[in-house]
Amino acid sequence: MSRTLDPFVIMAYRQFRRFLRTKARVVTSILNPIIWIAFFGLGWANAFNFPMAKAIFGGVDYLTFLTPGVTAMAVFTASFIGGVTVIWDKQFGFLKEVLVAPASRTGIILGRIFGDAVIAVLQGLAIMALSFAIAHNLNPYGILPALAYAFILALGFTSAGVALALKMTSMEGFQMVISLLMMPLIFLSGAFYPIKFMPGWMKWVAYINPLTYAVDGMRHYLSGVSTFNPLTDLAVLCIITAAFMALASRLFKKATID
Amino acid sequence: MTEYAVVAEGLVKKFGSVTAVAGVSFKVRYGEIFGFLGPNGAGKTTTIHMLATLLKPTAGDAWVAGHHIVKESDAVRRSIGVVFQDPSLDSELTAYENMYIHGKIYGMGGEELRYRIEEMLRFVELYEHRNRLVKYFSGGMRRRLEIARALLHKPKVLFLDEPTLGLDPQTRAHIWEYIKRLRDEGGVTIFLTTHYMDEAEELCDRLAIIDHGKIIAEDTPNQLKRLVGSDIIYLKVRAVNGAPNSCDALSAPPVMECKPLREGMVALKVSDATQAIPVILERAASMGLRVAEVSYRKPTLNDVFLYLTGREIREEEGSEADFLKHVIRMRRFRRR
Ligand SMILES: Nc1ncnc2c1ncn2[C@@H]1O[C@H](COP(=O)(O)OP(=O)(O)O)[C@@H](O)[C@H]1O
Ligand SMILES: [Mg+2]
Repeated sequence: MSRTLDPFVIMAYRQFRRFLRTKARVVTSILNPIIWIAFFGLGWANAFNFPMAKAIFGGVDYLTFLTPGVTAMAVFTASFIGGVTVIWDKQFGFLKEVLVAPASRTGIILGRIFGDAVIAVLQGLAIMALSFAIAHNLNPYGILPALAYAFILALGFTSAGVALALKMTSMEGFQMVISLLMMPLIFLSGAFYPIKFMPGWMKWVAYINPLTYAVDGMRHYLSGVSTFNPLTDLAVLCIITAAFMALASRLFKKATID
Repeated sequence: MTEYAVVAEGLVKKFGSVTAVAGVSFKVRYGEIFGFLGPNGAGKTTTIHMLATLLKPTAGDAWVAGHHIVKESDAVRRSIGVVFQDPSLDSELTAYENMYIHGKIYGMGGEELRYRIEEMLRFVELYEHRNRLVKYFSGGMRRRLEIARALLHKPKVLFLDEPTLGLDPQTRAHIWEYIKRLRDEGGVTIFLTTHYMDEAEELCDRLAIIDHGKIIAEDTPNQLKRLVGSDIIYLKVRAVNGAPNSCDALSAPPVMECKPLREGMVALKVSDATQAIPVILERAASMGLRVAEVSYRKPTLNDVFLYLTGREIREEEGSEADFLKHVIRMRRFRRR
Protein backbone atom coordinates (compact mmCIF):
# COMPACT_ATOMS: atom_id res chain seq x y z
CA MET A 1 0.00 0.00 0.00
CA SER A 2 2.64 2.51 1.01
CA ARG A 3 4.36 1.84 -2.28
CA THR A 4 1.49 3.73 -3.91
CA LEU A 5 0.46 5.98 -1.06
CA ASP A 6 3.89 7.39 -0.17
CA PRO A 7 4.65 8.58 -3.71
CA PHE A 8 1.11 9.95 -3.95
CA VAL A 9 1.42 12.02 -0.80
CA ILE A 10 4.97 13.17 -1.48
CA MET A 11 4.26 14.25 -5.04
CA ALA A 12 1.20 16.22 -3.93
CA TYR A 13 3.40 17.82 -1.26
CA ARG A 14 6.05 18.63 -3.81
CA GLN A 15 3.57 20.33 -6.17
CA PHE A 16 2.42 22.43 -3.22
CA ARG A 17 5.91 23.38 -2.16
CA ARG A 18 6.86 24.41 -5.66
CA PHE A 19 3.67 26.35 -6.18
CA LEU A 20 4.19 28.39 -3.06
CA ARG A 21 7.67 29.28 -4.29
CA THR A 22 6.67 30.29 -7.81
CA LYS A 23 4.67 33.35 -7.02
CA ALA A 24 4.35 34.40 -10.64
CA ARG A 25 2.01 31.47 -11.24
CA VAL A 26 -0.28 32.46 -8.36
CA VAL A 27 -0.48 36.05 -9.48
CA THR A 28 -1.22 35.40 -13.15
CA SER A 29 -3.78 32.71 -12.56
CA ILE A 30 -5.71 34.78 -10.01
CA LEU A 31 -5.33 38.08 -11.81
CA ASN A 32 -7.03 36.94 -14.98
CA PRO A 33 -10.41 36.04 -13.46
CA ILE A 34 -10.30 39.20 -11.34
CA ILE A 35 -9.97 41.21 -14.52
CA TRP A 36 -12.92 39.36 -16.03
CA ILE A 37 -15.12 39.96 -13.01
CA ALA A 38 -14.09 43.59 -12.64
CA PHE A 39 -14.04 44.85 -16.22
CA PHE A 40 -16.41 42.47 -17.95
CA GLY A 41 -18.76 41.71 -15.09
CA LEU A 42 -19.19 45.15 -13.56
CA GLY A 43 -19.54 46.75 -16.99
CA TRP A 44 -22.26 44.39 -18.18
CA ALA A 45 -23.95 44.39 -14.80
CA ASN A 46 -24.72 48.05 -15.32
CA ALA A 47 -25.87 47.50 -18.92
CA PHE A 48 -28.22 44.74 -17.72
CA ASN A 49 -29.51 46.85 -14.87
CA PHE A 50 -33.16 46.97 -16.01
CA PRO A 51 -36.13 44.92 -14.78
CA MET A 52 -36.51 42.67 -17.86
CA ALA A 53 -32.85 41.67 -17.85
CA LYS A 54 -33.18 39.14 -15.05
CA ALA A 55 -35.37 37.00 -17.30
CA ILE A 56 -32.41 36.53 -19.67
CA PHE A 57 -30.30 35.06 -16.90
CA GLY A 58 -32.92 32.76 -15.47
CA GLY A 59 -34.17 35.22 -12.87
CA VAL A 60 -30.96 36.50 -11.29
CA ASP A 61 -28.89 39.66 -11.81
CA TYR A 62 -25.90 39.46 -14.13
CA LEU A 63 -23.16 39.37 -11.48
CA THR A 64 -24.91 36.53 -9.71
CA PHE A 65 -25.12 34.73 -13.03
CA LEU A 66 -21.54 35.47 -14.06
CA THR A 67 -19.44 34.91 -10.93
CA PRO A 68 -19.89 31.11 -10.60
CA GLY A 69 -18.92 30.86 -14.27
CA VAL A 70 -15.76 32.91 -13.74
CA THR A 71 -14.91 30.81 -10.69
CA ALA A 72 -15.18 27.66 -12.80
CA MET A 73 -13.10 29.36 -15.46
CA ALA A 74 -10.38 30.21 -12.93
CA VAL A 75 -10.21 26.60 -11.74
CA PHE A 76 -10.24 25.31 -15.31
CA THR A 77 -7.44 27.64 -16.45
CA ALA A 78 -5.24 26.99 -13.43
CA SER A 79 -5.57 23.23 -13.72
CA PHE A 80 -5.16 22.94 -17.48
CA ILE A 81 -2.06 25.18 -17.46
CA GLY A 82 -0.71 23.23 -14.49
CA GLY A 83 0.49 20.58 -16.94
CA VAL A 84 3.31 22.96 -17.78
CA THR A 85 5.13 21.75 -14.66
CA VAL A 86 5.52 18.38 -16.39
CA ILE A 87 7.29 20.13 -19.28
CA TRP A 88 9.54 21.92 -16.78
CA ASP A 89 10.33 18.59 -15.16
CA LYS A 90 11.26 17.19 -18.54
CA GLN A 91 13.48 20.14 -19.34
CA PHE A 92 15.12 20.42 -15.94
CA GLY A 93 15.56 16.66 -15.68
CA PHE A 94 13.52 15.94 -12.56
CA LEU A 95 11.28 13.65 -14.60
CA LYS A 96 14.19 11.21 -15.03
CA GLU A 97 14.68 11.09 -11.27
CA VAL A 98 11.05 10.05 -10.93
CA LEU A 99 11.04 7.60 -13.83
CA VAL A 100 14.03 5.69 -12.49
CA ALA A 101 12.42 5.21 -9.07
CA PRO A 102 10.92 1.86 -8.06
CA ALA A 103 7.72 3.57 -6.91
CA SER A 104 4.26 3.06 -8.35
CA ARG A 105 3.93 5.28 -11.39
CA THR A 106 0.20 5.54 -10.81
CA GLY A 107 0.81 6.77 -7.29
CA ILE A 108 3.29 9.36 -8.51
CA ILE A 109 1.19 10.81 -11.28
CA LEU A 110 -2.08 10.77 -9.34
CA GLY A 111 -0.38 12.46 -6.38
CA ARG A 112 0.90 15.16 -8.63
CA ILE A 113 -2.53 15.59 -10.25
CA PHE A 114 -4.19 15.70 -6.84
CA GLY A 115 -1.73 18.35 -5.61
CA ASP A 116 -2.20 20.54 -8.65
CA ALA A 117 -5.97 20.11 -8.52
CA VAL A 118 -6.08 21.29 -4.90
CA ILE A 119 -3.96 24.28 -5.88
CA ALA A 120 -6.37 25.10 -8.70
CA VAL A 121 -9.37 24.84 -6.36
CA LEU A 122 -7.67 27.17 -3.86
CA GLN A 123 -7.32 29.72 -6.62
CA GLY A 124 -10.99 29.22 -7.43
CA LEU A 125 -11.75 29.78 -3.76
CA ALA A 126 -10.02 33.17 -3.93
CA ILE A 127 -12.22 34.13 -6.88
CA MET A 128 -15.27 32.84 -5.06
CA ALA A 129 -14.48 35.05 -2.08
CA LEU A 130 -14.21 38.03 -4.39
CA SER A 131 -17.52 37.02 -6.01
CA PHE A 132 -19.31 37.10 -2.67
CA ALA A 133 -17.91 40.57 -2.06
CA ILE A 134 -19.38 42.07 -5.23
CA ALA A 135 -22.40 39.90 -6.11
CA HIS A 136 -24.96 40.05 -3.32
CA ASN A 137 -27.36 37.29 -4.26
CA LEU A 138 -25.03 34.30 -4.11
CA ASN A 139 -25.98 31.47 -1.80
CA PRO A 140 -23.33 30.79 0.89
CA TYR A 141 -24.74 27.27 1.41
CA GLY A 142 -23.77 26.55 -2.15
CA ILE A 143 -20.06 27.03 -1.49
CA LEU A 144 -19.25 23.48 -0.43
CA PRO A 145 -21.07 21.65 -3.23
CA ALA A 146 -19.68 24.17 -5.74
CA LEU A 147 -16.16 23.47 -4.46
CA ALA A 148 -16.78 19.75 -4.90
CA TYR A 149 -17.71 20.33 -8.54
CA ALA A 150 -14.69 22.59 -8.91
CA PHE A 151 -12.44 19.86 -7.51
CA ILE A 152 -13.72 17.24 -9.94
CA LEU A 153 -13.25 19.73 -12.77
CA ALA A 154 -9.71 20.47 -11.55
CA LEU A 155 -8.79 16.77 -11.36
CA GLY A 156 -10.04 16.31 -14.91
CA PHE A 157 -8.24 19.20 -16.50
CA THR A 158 -5.05 18.79 -14.51
CA SER A 159 -5.00 15.25 -15.90
CA ALA A 160 -5.69 16.56 -19.40
CA GLY A 161 -2.87 19.09 -19.06
CA VAL A 162 -0.48 16.43 -17.72
CA ALA A 163 -1.42 14.03 -20.52
CA LEU A 164 -0.84 16.72 -23.12
CA ALA A 165 2.48 17.72 -21.53
CA LEU A 166 3.67 14.11 -21.51
CA LYS A 167 3.11 13.99 -25.26
CA MET A 168 4.72 17.37 -25.94
CA THR A 169 8.42 18.08 -25.95
CA SER A 170 8.55 21.86 -26.07
CA MET A 171 7.13 24.56 -23.84
CA GLU A 172 6.03 26.51 -26.92
CA GLY A 173 4.10 23.59 -28.37
CA PHE A 174 2.32 23.00 -25.08
CA GLN A 175 1.42 26.65 -24.67
CA MET A 176 0.17 26.85 -28.23
CA VAL A 177 -2.19 23.90 -27.87
CA ILE A 178 -3.42 25.14 -24.50
CA SER A 179 -4.14 28.64 -25.70
CA LEU A 180 -5.83 27.34 -28.85
CA LEU A 181 -8.21 25.25 -26.73
CA MET A 182 -8.66 27.53 -23.76
CA MET A 183 -10.60 30.47 -25.20
CA PRO A 184 -13.19 28.49 -27.21
CA LEU A 185 -13.80 26.16 -24.27
CA ILE A 186 -14.34 29.13 -21.96
CA PHE A 187 -16.63 31.05 -24.30
CA LEU A 188 -18.64 27.97 -25.19
CA SER A 189 -19.22 26.91 -21.60
CA GLY A 190 -22.08 29.26 -20.77
CA ALA A 191 -19.88 31.10 -18.24
CA PHE A 192 -20.59 34.54 -19.73
CA TYR A 193 -24.04 34.12 -21.29
CA PRO A 194 -26.77 31.48 -21.17
CA ILE A 195 -26.44 28.53 -23.51
CA LYS A 196 -30.06 28.76 -24.57
CA PHE A 197 -29.37 32.01 -26.48
CA MET A 198 -26.48 30.52 -28.44
CA PRO A 199 -26.93 29.76 -32.15
CA GLY A 200 -27.72 26.09 -32.82
CA TRP A 201 -24.22 24.92 -33.73
CA MET A 202 -22.69 26.71 -30.75
CA LYS A 203 -25.14 24.99 -28.46
CA TRP A 204 -23.91 21.64 -29.67
CA VAL A 205 -20.34 22.56 -29.01
CA ALA A 206 -21.35 23.74 -25.55
CA TYR A 207 -23.05 20.40 -24.90
CA ILE A 208 -19.89 18.46 -25.61
CA ASN A 209 -17.69 20.89 -23.65
CA PRO A 210 -16.87 19.42 -20.22
CA LEU A 211 -16.48 22.88 -18.73
CA THR A 212 -20.18 23.57 -19.44
CA TYR A 213 -21.19 21.02 -16.82
CA ALA A 214 -18.91 22.46 -14.17
CA VAL A 215 -20.21 25.98 -14.82
CA ASP A 216 -23.79 24.74 -14.76
CA GLY A 217 -23.41 22.70 -11.60
CA MET A 218 -21.59 25.42 -9.70
CA ARG A 219 -24.13 27.99 -10.84
CA HIS A 220 -26.94 25.76 -9.65
CA TYR A 221 -25.61 25.76 -6.10
CA LEU A 222 -24.32 29.32 -5.93
CA SER A 223 -26.94 31.24 -7.96
CA GLY A 224 -29.88 28.88 -7.99
CA VAL A 225 -30.21 28.76 -11.78
CA SER A 226 -29.08 26.04 -14.16
CA THR A 227 -29.64 24.52 -17.57
CA PHE A 228 -29.28 20.88 -16.61
CA ASN A 229 -30.05 18.77 -13.60
CA PRO A 230 -27.05 19.13 -11.23
CA LEU A 231 -26.81 15.36 -10.99
CA THR A 232 -26.45 15.20 -14.76
CA ASP A 233 -23.67 17.78 -14.46
CA LEU A 234 -22.02 15.67 -11.77
CA ALA A 235 -22.28 12.46 -13.75
CA VAL A 236 -20.82 14.00 -16.92
CA LEU A 237 -17.97 15.63 -14.98
CA CYS A 238 -17.12 12.41 -13.20
CA ILE A 239 -17.03 10.39 -16.40
CA ILE A 240 -14.84 12.92 -18.21
CA THR A 241 -12.51 13.33 -15.24
CA ALA A 242 -12.14 9.59 -14.83
CA ALA A 243 -11.30 9.30 -18.52
CA PHE A 244 -8.64 12.03 -18.40
CA MET A 245 -7.13 10.59 -15.22
CA ALA A 246 -6.96 7.16 -16.79
CA LEU A 247 -5.33 8.64 -19.89
CA ALA A 248 -2.71 10.56 -17.88
CA SER A 249 -1.87 7.47 -15.77
CA ARG A 250 -1.58 5.31 -18.84
CA LEU A 251 0.71 7.74 -20.62
CA PHE A 252 2.86 8.14 -17.53
CA LYS A 253 3.13 4.39 -17.01
CA LYS A 254 4.50 4.03 -20.51
CA ALA A 255 6.72 7.11 -20.30
CA THR A 256 10.39 6.61 -21.09
CA ILE A 257 13.04 9.13 -21.87
CA ASP A 258 13.84 9.76 -25.51
CA MET B 1 25.65 -14.53 -12.43
CA THR B 2 25.42 -13.59 -8.77
CA GLU B 3 29.08 -12.69 -8.37
CA TYR B 4 28.58 -9.85 -10.86
CA ALA B 5 26.84 -6.58 -10.15
CA VAL B 6 26.27 -5.93 -13.83
CA VAL B 7 26.28 -8.36 -16.73
CA ALA B 8 25.64 -7.09 -20.26
CA GLU B 9 25.36 -9.42 -23.22
CA GLY B 10 25.26 -7.94 -26.69
CA LEU B 11 23.35 -4.80 -25.77
CA VAL B 12 22.21 -2.86 -28.83
CA LYS B 13 20.28 0.39 -29.02
CA LYS B 14 19.16 1.98 -32.25
CA PHE B 15 17.41 5.31 -32.58
CA GLY B 16 15.85 5.06 -36.01
CA SER B 17 18.79 4.71 -38.36
CA VAL B 18 21.35 5.76 -35.73
CA THR B 19 23.02 2.91 -33.87
CA ALA B 20 23.99 4.42 -30.52
CA VAL B 21 25.16 1.18 -28.93
CA ALA B 22 26.31 -1.55 -31.31
CA GLY B 23 26.43 -4.68 -29.17
CA VAL B 24 28.36 -4.32 -25.92
CA SER B 25 29.10 -7.14 -23.51
CA PHE B 26 30.88 -6.75 -20.18
CA LYS B 27 30.76 -7.79 -16.55
CA VAL B 28 31.16 -5.65 -13.46
CA ARG B 29 32.21 -7.33 -10.21
CA TYR B 30 30.66 -6.43 -6.89
CA GLY B 31 32.58 -3.73 -5.06
CA GLU B 32 34.67 -2.47 -7.94
CA ILE B 33 34.63 0.78 -9.87
CA PHE B 34 34.09 -0.05 -13.50
CA GLY B 35 34.38 2.69 -16.11
CA PHE B 36 33.29 3.37 -19.63
CA LEU B 37 35.82 5.65 -21.29
CA GLY B 38 35.05 7.09 -24.68
CA PRO B 39 34.56 10.25 -26.68
CA ASN B 40 31.31 12.16 -27.02
CA GLY B 41 28.66 10.19 -28.86
CA ALA B 42 30.32 6.84 -28.14
CA GLY B 43 27.15 5.46 -26.55
CA LYS B 44 27.98 5.78 -22.85
CA THR B 45 24.83 7.58 -21.77
CA THR B 46 22.63 5.32 -23.85
CA THR B 47 24.19 2.28 -22.17
CA ILE B 48 23.54 3.73 -18.70
CA HIS B 49 19.96 4.53 -19.64
CA MET B 50 19.41 0.94 -20.73
CA LEU B 51 20.98 -0.48 -17.57
CA ALA B 52 18.92 1.92 -15.46
CA THR B 53 15.70 0.66 -17.16
CA LEU B 54 14.91 4.01 -18.79
CA LEU B 55 15.44 2.75 -22.34
CA LYS B 56 14.54 -0.64 -23.75
CA PRO B 57 17.42 -2.27 -25.60
CA THR B 58 16.84 -2.97 -29.28
CA ALA B 59 18.62 -6.27 -28.75
CA GLY B 60 20.66 -8.06 -26.11
CA ASP B 61 20.23 -8.69 -22.41
CA ALA B 62 21.57 -7.29 -19.21
CA TRP B 63 21.27 -8.03 -15.51
CA VAL B 64 21.86 -5.54 -12.74
CA ALA B 65 22.29 -6.92 -9.22
CA GLY B 66 21.03 -10.20 -10.61
CA HIS B 67 17.82 -8.80 -12.09
CA HIS B 68 16.96 -8.61 -15.77
CA ILE B 69 16.71 -4.99 -16.89
CA VAL B 70 13.51 -5.48 -18.92
CA LYS B 71 11.71 -8.38 -17.26
CA GLU B 72 12.51 -7.33 -13.69
CA SER B 73 12.83 -3.60 -14.10
CA ASP B 74 11.24 -2.86 -10.74
CA ALA B 75 13.78 -5.00 -8.89
CA VAL B 76 16.57 -3.32 -10.87
CA ARG B 77 15.25 0.11 -9.92
CA ARG B 78 15.25 -0.85 -6.26
CA SER B 79 18.91 -1.88 -6.49
CA ILE B 80 20.38 1.16 -8.20
CA GLY B 81 21.16 4.83 -7.70
CA VAL B 82 21.72 7.02 -10.72
CA VAL B 83 23.49 10.33 -11.25
CA PHE B 84 22.53 11.38 -14.73
CA GLN B 85 24.80 13.29 -17.07
CA ASP B 86 22.30 16.15 -17.19
CA PRO B 87 21.00 17.80 -14.03
CA SER B 88 17.95 16.16 -12.45
CA LEU B 89 17.36 18.10 -9.24
CA ASP B 90 14.29 20.16 -8.47
CA SER B 91 15.88 23.58 -8.24
CA GLU B 92 12.80 25.23 -6.74
CA LEU B 93 13.26 23.06 -3.66
CA THR B 94 15.93 23.05 -0.97
CA ALA B 95 18.67 20.44 -0.75
CA TYR B 96 16.89 18.81 2.17
CA GLU B 97 13.55 18.74 0.36
CA ASN B 98 15.14 17.11 -2.67
CA MET B 99 16.57 14.41 -0.43
CA TYR B 100 13.35 13.99 1.52
CA ILE B 101 11.21 13.59 -1.59
CA HIS B 102 13.65 11.07 -2.99
CA GLY B 103 13.55 9.06 0.23
CA LYS B 104 9.77 9.05 0.31
CA ILE B 105 9.53 7.98 -3.32
CA TYR B 106 11.87 5.11 -2.47
CA GLY B 107 9.67 4.06 0.42
CA MET B 108 11.81 5.37 3.26
CA GLY B 109 10.47 7.38 6.15
CA GLY B 110 10.56 8.47 9.74
CA GLU B 111 13.68 8.65 11.87
CA GLU B 112 15.63 6.38 9.53
CA LEU B 113 15.11 8.76 6.61
CA ARG B 114 16.02 11.85 8.62
CA TYR B 115 19.18 10.18 9.89
CA ARG B 116 20.20 8.95 6.47
CA ILE B 117 19.62 12.37 4.83
CA GLU B 118 21.83 13.99 7.42
CA GLU B 119 24.49 11.32 6.98
CA MET B 120 24.57 11.68 3.21
CA LEU B 121 24.46 15.49 3.24
CA ARG B 122 27.41 15.45 5.63
CA PHE B 123 29.21 12.97 3.41
CA VAL B 124 29.14 15.42 0.48
CA GLU B 125 29.67 18.40 2.81
CA LEU B 126 26.37 20.07 2.07
CA TYR B 127 24.76 19.76 5.48
CA GLU B 128 25.27 23.45 6.21
CA HIS B 129 23.47 24.27 2.98
CA ARG B 130 20.56 21.90 3.51
CA ASN B 131 17.92 24.62 3.70
CA ARG B 132 19.07 26.61 0.69
CA LEU B 133 17.20 26.45 -2.59
CA VAL B 134 19.07 24.35 -5.12
CA LYS B 135 18.75 27.08 -7.74
CA TYR B 136 21.35 29.07 -5.82
CA PHE B 137 23.82 26.13 -5.80
CA SER B 138 26.98 26.05 -7.92
CA GLY B 139 27.49 23.30 -10.47
CA GLY B 140 29.74 21.38 -8.09
CA MET B 141 27.28 21.62 -5.21
CA ARG B 142 24.48 20.33 -7.41
CA ARG B 143 26.61 17.40 -8.49
CA ARG B 144 27.45 16.55 -4.89
CA LEU B 145 23.80 16.73 -3.94
CA GLU B 146 22.93 14.41 -6.80
CA ILE B 147 25.51 11.93 -5.57
CA ALA B 148 24.14 12.13 -2.03
CA ARG B 149 20.63 11.66 -3.33
CA ALA B 150 21.56 8.67 -5.46
CA LEU B 151 23.11 7.01 -2.38
CA LEU B 152 20.26 7.84 0.00
CA HIS B 153 18.38 4.56 -0.39
CA LYS B 154 21.60 2.47 -0.14
CA PRO B 155 21.71 1.14 -3.69
CA LYS B 156 23.83 -1.91 -4.53
CA VAL B 157 24.98 -0.36 -7.78
CA LEU B 158 25.65 3.33 -8.34
CA PHE B 159 25.66 4.69 -11.89
CA LEU B 160 27.58 7.91 -12.46
CA ASP B 161 27.28 9.38 -15.95
CA GLU B 162 30.20 11.78 -16.46
CA PRO B 163 30.30 12.74 -12.78
CA THR B 164 32.64 15.70 -13.20
CA LEU B 165 31.62 16.98 -16.60
CA GLY B 166 32.23 20.70 -16.91
CA LEU B 167 33.44 21.17 -13.34
CA ASP B 168 36.59 23.05 -12.31
CA PRO B 169 39.69 21.04 -11.30
CA GLN B 170 39.29 21.51 -7.52
CA THR B 171 35.69 20.42 -7.58
CA ARG B 172 36.60 17.43 -9.72
CA ALA B 173 39.30 16.36 -7.29
CA HIS B 174 36.78 16.74 -4.49
CA ILE B 175 34.24 14.50 -6.19
CA TRP B 176 36.94 11.94 -6.90
CA GLU B 177 37.63 11.82 -3.18
CA TYR B 178 34.00 10.96 -2.45
CA ILE B 179 33.98 8.25 -5.09
CA LYS B 180 37.16 6.70 -3.76
CA ARG B 181 35.84 6.80 -0.22
CA LEU B 182 32.72 4.99 -1.37
CA ARG B 183 34.83 2.21 -2.81
CA ASP B 184 37.06 2.00 0.24
CA GLU B 185 34.13 1.86 2.63
CA GLY B 186 32.68 -0.92 0.49
CA GLY B 187 29.10 -1.86 -0.03
CA VAL B 188 28.48 -0.18 -3.35
CA THR B 189 29.54 -1.09 -6.86
CA ILE B 190 30.17 1.87 -9.12
CA PHE B 191 29.66 2.02 -12.85
CA LEU B 192 30.86 5.32 -14.24
CA THR B 193 31.31 6.85 -17.65
CA THR B 194 33.75 9.55 -18.56
CA HIS B 195 35.57 11.05 -21.46
CA TYR B 196 38.35 12.29 -19.18
CA MET B 197 41.44 10.06 -19.24
CA ASP B 198 42.67 11.32 -15.90
CA GLU B 199 39.35 10.50 -14.31
CA ALA B 200 39.29 6.97 -15.69
CA GLU B 201 42.89 6.48 -14.60
CA GLU B 202 42.33 7.89 -11.14
CA LEU B 203 39.14 6.05 -10.28
CA CYS B 204 38.59 2.88 -12.25
CA ASP B 205 39.64 -0.56 -11.11
CA ARG B 206 38.77 -1.79 -14.57
CA LEU B 207 37.57 0.01 -17.60
CA ALA B 208 36.20 -0.53 -21.05
CA ILE B 209 37.16 1.80 -23.85
CA ILE B 210 34.14 2.47 -26.00
CA ASP B 211 34.04 4.05 -29.43
CA HIS B 212 31.19 4.22 -31.95
CA GLY B 213 29.00 2.07 -29.72
CA LYS B 214 31.53 -0.76 -29.44
CA ILE B 215 33.93 -1.81 -26.71
CA ILE B 216 37.39 -1.83 -28.24
CA ALA B 217 39.39 -2.80 -25.15
CA GLU B 218 38.67 -3.80 -21.59
CA ASP B 219 41.11 -4.21 -18.71
CA THR B 220 42.71 -2.47 -15.74
CA PRO B 221 44.19 0.95 -16.57
CA ASN B 222 47.72 -0.44 -16.08
CA GLN B 223 47.16 -3.42 -18.34
CA LEU B 224 45.66 -1.17 -20.99
CA LYS B 225 48.66 1.14 -20.86
CA ARG B 226 50.92 -1.87 -21.24
CA LEU B 227 49.40 -2.25 -24.69
CA VAL B 228 51.42 0.74 -25.79
CA GLY B 229 54.60 -0.15 -23.86
CA SER B 230 56.20 1.23 -20.76
CA ASP B 231 57.37 4.39 -22.58
CA ILE B 232 56.13 5.79 -25.80
CA ILE B 233 58.18 7.97 -28.17
CA TYR B 234 56.60 10.20 -30.76
CA LEU B 235 58.78 11.06 -33.75
CA LYS B 236 57.96 13.40 -36.55
CA VAL B 237 59.92 12.30 -39.58
CA ARG B 238 60.47 14.19 -42.82
CA ALA B 239 60.71 11.80 -45.71
CA VAL B 240 63.89 12.30 -47.65
CA ASN B 241 64.09 11.01 -51.24
CA GLY B 242 65.02 7.37 -51.42
CA ALA B 243 64.67 6.76 -47.69
CA PRO B 244 62.73 3.68 -46.59
CA ASN B 245 59.34 3.84 -44.89
CA SER B 246 60.08 5.12 -41.39
CA CYS B 247 58.55 2.17 -39.52
CA ASP B 248 60.47 -0.30 -41.66
CA ALA B 249 63.64 1.60 -40.87
CA LEU B 250 63.07 1.96 -37.16
CA SER B 251 61.53 -1.36 -36.17
CA ALA B 252 64.50 -2.97 -34.45
CA PRO B 253 65.44 -3.17 -30.76
CA PRO B 254 65.06 -1.16 -28.57
CA VAL B 255 61.86 -0.38 -30.51
CA MET B 256 59.28 -3.02 -29.63
CA GLU B 257 56.63 -1.78 -31.96
CA CYS B 258 56.22 1.04 -34.43
CA LYS B 259 52.89 2.50 -35.41
CA PRO B 260 52.50 5.14 -38.12
CA LEU B 261 50.13 7.97 -37.20
CA ARG B 262 49.09 10.94 -39.31
CA GLU B 263 51.37 13.42 -41.09
CA GLY B 264 54.69 11.65 -40.80
CA MET B 265 54.26 11.02 -37.09
CA VAL B 266 55.16 7.61 -35.70
CA ALA B 267 54.65 6.15 -32.24
CA LEU B 268 57.40 3.86 -30.94
CA LYS B 269 56.88 1.48 -28.08
CA VAL B 270 60.05 1.09 -25.96
CA SER B 271 60.88 0.04 -22.44
CA ASP B 272 63.13 2.99 -21.54
CA ALA B 273 62.87 6.14 -23.61
CA THR B 274 65.91 7.96 -22.22
CA GLN B 275 68.21 5.20 -23.42
CA ALA B 276 66.33 4.43 -26.61
CA ILE B 277 66.14 7.96 -28.04
CA PRO B 278 69.87 8.37 -28.90
CA VAL B 279 69.91 4.95 -30.54
CA ILE B 280 66.83 5.73 -32.57
CA LEU B 281 68.07 9.14 -33.66
CA GLU B 282 71.36 7.65 -34.82
CA ARG B 283 69.60 4.92 -36.73
CA ALA B 284 67.22 7.39 -38.35
CA ALA B 285 70.15 9.53 -39.49
CA SER B 286 71.99 6.56 -40.93
CA MET B 287 68.86 5.50 -42.83
CA GLY B 288 68.44 8.96 -44.33
CA LEU B 289 65.40 9.99 -42.30
CA ARG B 290 65.27 13.54 -41.04
CA VAL B 291 63.71 13.81 -37.57
CA ALA B 292 61.82 17.06 -37.04
CA GLU B 293 60.41 16.51 -33.58
CA VAL B 294 60.86 14.06 -30.73
CA SER B 295 58.89 13.73 -27.55
CA TYR B 296 58.19 10.90 -25.17
CA ARG B 297 55.94 10.19 -22.29
CA LYS B 298 54.77 7.51 -19.99
CA PRO B 299 51.74 6.14 -21.77
CA THR B 300 48.41 7.51 -20.66
CA LEU B 301 45.00 6.20 -21.51
CA ASN B 302 44.99 8.80 -24.23
CA ASP B 303 47.88 6.96 -25.87
CA VAL B 304 45.92 3.76 -25.56
CA PHE B 305 42.98 5.33 -27.30
CA LEU B 306 45.26 6.81 -29.95
CA TYR B 307 46.91 3.41 -30.38
CA LEU B 308 43.57 1.63 -30.75
CA THR B 309 41.73 4.12 -32.93
CA GLY B 310 44.31 6.44 -34.49
CA ARG B 311 42.37 9.32 -32.94
CA GLU B 312 42.55 11.16 -29.65
CA ILE B 313 39.70 11.58 -27.25
CA ARG B 314 39.03 15.25 -27.46
CA GLU B 315 39.32 16.95 -24.13
CA GLU B 316 38.15 20.40 -23.25
CA GLU B 317 40.92 20.92 -20.74
CA GLY B 318 44.52 20.11 -21.56
CA SER B 319 44.83 18.08 -18.40
CA GLU B 320 47.20 15.53 -19.86
CA ALA B 321 49.76 18.30 -20.39
CA ASP B 322 51.04 17.47 -16.91
CA PHE B 323 52.07 14.04 -18.04
CA LEU B 324 54.06 15.27 -21.01
CA LYS B 325 57.78 15.25 -20.72
CA HIS B 326 59.71 17.57 -22.93
CA VAL B 327 62.88 16.29 -24.53
CA ILE B 328 63.98 18.30 -27.48
CA ARG B 329 61.09 20.47 -28.30
CA MET B 330 57.56 20.14 -27.21
CA ARG B 331 54.68 20.67 -29.47
CA ARG B 332 51.15 19.53 -28.89
CA PHE B 333 49.90 17.17 -31.54
CA ARG B 334 47.56 18.75 -33.94
CA ARG B 335 43.99 18.03 -33.00
CA ARG B 336 41.51 16.86 -35.53
N1 LIG C 1 17.20 9.96 -28.22
C1 LIG C 1 18.08 9.86 -29.23
N2 LIG C 1 17.67 9.93 -30.50
C2 LIG C 1 18.53 9.81 -31.53
N3 LIG C 1 19.85 9.65 -31.38
C3 LIG C 1 20.34 9.58 -30.13
C4 LIG C 1 19.49 9.69 -28.98
N4 LIG C 1 20.25 9.59 -27.87
C5 LIG C 1 21.52 9.43 -28.30
N5 LIG C 1 21.57 9.43 -29.64
C6 LIG C 1 22.79 9.25 -30.46
O1 LIG C 1 23.42 8.07 -30.04
C7 LIG C 1 24.82 8.25 -30.00
C8 LIG C 1 25.35 7.94 -28.63
O2 LIG C 1 24.93 8.94 -27.72
P1 LIG C 1 25.26 8.91 -26.19
O3 LIG C 1 24.87 7.60 -25.62
O4 LIG C 1 24.64 10.11 -25.57
O5 LIG C 1 26.84 9.04 -26.19
P2 LIG C 1 27.83 9.50 -25.03
O6 LIG C 1 27.08 9.52 -23.74
O7 LIG C 1 28.92 8.49 -25.06
O8 LIG C 1 28.32 10.85 -25.38
C9 LIG C 1 25.09 9.66 -30.47
O9 LIG C 1 25.41 9.61 -31.83
C10 LIG C 1 23.79 10.36 -30.25
O10 LIG C 1 23.62 11.39 -31.18
MG1 LIG D 1 26.88 11.03 -22.42
